[in-house]
Order: sequence, then structure tokens, then C-alpha cells
Amino acid sequence: MKVVITSIVVALILALILSLPALAQESGTITITMTGVNEISISLDKTQWPLGNVPLDTEYTTSPPIEWCTLTVEGNCNVNTFILGEDAKWVDNPSAYKWTLSTDGTSGENVYGLWFRISGDTTRGPLSDGYVPITKTQDEFWPYAGGSSLAPGNTKQFGLKLLTPTYFVGGRQMQTQITISAVAA
Amino acid sequence: MVGRIKVAGLIAALLVIFLPSFTLAQDVNFSVSPAVLSIDNLPPGEATEFELTIHNKEELAHNFTIATFQPPEEERRERRTEFPDDSWISFSTQEIEVAANSQANVTVTVAIPQEQKWAGEDWEIWVGVAAESSDLLAVRLYVRLLVSTNPAMEARSNAGLVAGIVVGIILLGYGGYYYFRRKAKPE
Repeated sequence: MKVVITSIVVALILALILSLPALAQESGTITITMTGVNEISISLDKTQWPLGNVPLDTEYTTSPPIEWCTLTVEGNCNVNTFILGEDAKWVDNPSAYKWTLSTDGTSGENVYGLWFRISGDTTRGPLSDGYVPITKTQDEFWPYAGGSSLAPGNTKQFGLKLLTPTYFVGGRQMQTQITISAVAA
Repeated sequence: MVGRIKVAGLIAALLVIFLPSFTLAQDVNFSVSPAVLSIDNLPPGEATEFELTIHNKEELAHNFTIATFQPPEEERRERRTEFPDDSWISFSTQEIEVAANSQANVTVTVAIPQEQKWAGEDWEIWVGVAAESSDLLAVRLYVRLLVSTNPAMEARSNAGLVAGIVVGIILLGYGGYYYFRRKAKPE
């Protein structure tokens, strides 16, 4: 009798000793850390480009071409920035008619092209002239190809280029948006 | 000849459209904090939350939208993998109006399902805040959210195993005790 009870007690103690570290892990606290400098912000000094009436298959560039808009890093952290385009939609009925944004900056029937160029950049892009197509996939704005991120106070000037479709339905007001985004580097 | 020019002019006029032409300048200047947030030791089956602050620095009130974004692999921090499911992250509101020169908070909740396979993981996902605008250029700011789960889910399974062994030992002990006791009884 005594042997049995002693065995049970010893087994229990052993089991508890073995399980204690595991049980202790369960009570670990969740930690939330805000890393270092902690406010992100960028600003653009221009957000509109009214073109008015546009004909078929015509190229437009902002004026000045590559120093049209200035992006400034405001917050207190270094940032990587990106650019994203979208289809241009008919303002009166967005679901009924659109111009599809080209994947390579070229134009076609109801397909339009968008490009950006950063001031001082003369080699980037498919034509190595500094102009980079804006597509519906979020791509690098600055830095690119592993370059340095932008620090607080840094600025980048850039311009846009638009190529109208080779065919479109006339008399419709079209609207599109280019999103410039930033994340802490 | 003149007639042809007139027809060509008419066709051109019909093809003419208006591209964005807006009347009011609506520059947007805002900030978001934190820019980077790490959640560590989050056990699968549990949830945690934090406040995301949007500061509208303009003289006009603006609406802001909040949504998650899966960054491409090359943009993620080292050793971070894709966050498995966007629906594990929820917001107290996905759209909020922030008055001029003021700030507002949005509560972000991160909840991990209670499954062994989510233990001991290091993920990254971004939370994007954008100011609603009809302008050609818009700005979106991302919060880099780094989530690490606790390997405790594994420990919890071990704890169950240990408890099972203990119960088994007790039952076996009692069984043995009663067996030997009965056997030892004089007939």
C-alpha cells in the first residue's frame, strides 16, 4: 500500500517538474514595441493636373516636365516611397466606361499610358531617358535598385507624362488617380 | 476642301474629352504614428490591440480610409514572412473623419487563430492610411506591422500531454492498488 502511494506521489512530482517550464511559457506577456522614431509623413505640393480637352493618341507632359511636383519627407523617419496608377473612369458613370491603364506606358484603343520622371534621373526606365511607366502594380518611386531611402527633410521633384488612347469615346469627362505611398525604411 | 476641314474639325471636337479638371486645390498633409510597430509573443488563440494615430495637418477636415496591404517579399524586413490572413486584422473603423489641425485614433486588433501551425512565426503586414481625394495625386502612408507569435502554442500541447500522463499514472496507480489489495485479501 505504502509503496503504491509513494510511487504515485513521486510520479506526480516528476510530471509537475517536467511540465513547469512549459506552463511558465504560457504565461509569457505579449509585448508591443514602437520602434525608435515613430511618425511617418510625406507631402506633395501639387495634386492636380487639369488637361481640359484632349485629342486621340497625344502625349502630354507636366510643365515644368520634371520639376512639376515636389515630394517632401515630413515625419521623423526615413522612408521608401512607391507609386501606383489606376484605370481612368468616366466621371458620370464609372462602371460603364473606362480607359485601361497600360502596363508599359504605351497607348491603344481605350488604353492610356502614364509615366513619371524624377528630376536628376536621366537613365531610368525602359527607354533609359528617366521616364518610368506608372502601372496598376505598386512600384518603387524612390529609392530604386537598392538605393538610399529618403530622410526627413529630403525632397524629390518629379513630373508626369500622359499618352491618350488611340481610340476613345469622346465627350466624356475622365478621372484617374496616382497614389504615392511611403513606408518606414 | 473647306468642307473636309469642317468635318475633320467636327470629328476632333466629338473625340475631345475632359481629363481631370477640378476647381479647388485640396492638398493633403497628414501623418500617421506609429510608423513601425512590433508585436511579440502573441500566442495563437489570443488577440491584442494598439492605437493608430492619424494627424490631419490641413486647414480642412478630411476623411481617411484604413486598410491592410501585403508588401512584396523584397520590401519586407529580414526573416519576415507574409502575414497569412488579412482578416485577422480588424479596425475600430475603416473610415474616419479627422477635423482640421487635429488628430484621431483608430484601434487596430490583431487576432491569431488557435492553431499549432501559427506558433513561433514572424510575419509582416502593412496598414495603409489614405486621405480620400478626387485629385490626380493622392498620398498613402503605411504602418509597418511586425507580428511574432509565441511558441507557447506548442507548450500548451505539451502541457496537455503531461496532464494526460499524470492522470494515466494516477489511474494506473489506483488500479494497481485495488488489484493487489483484492489479491492480498484472505479468502
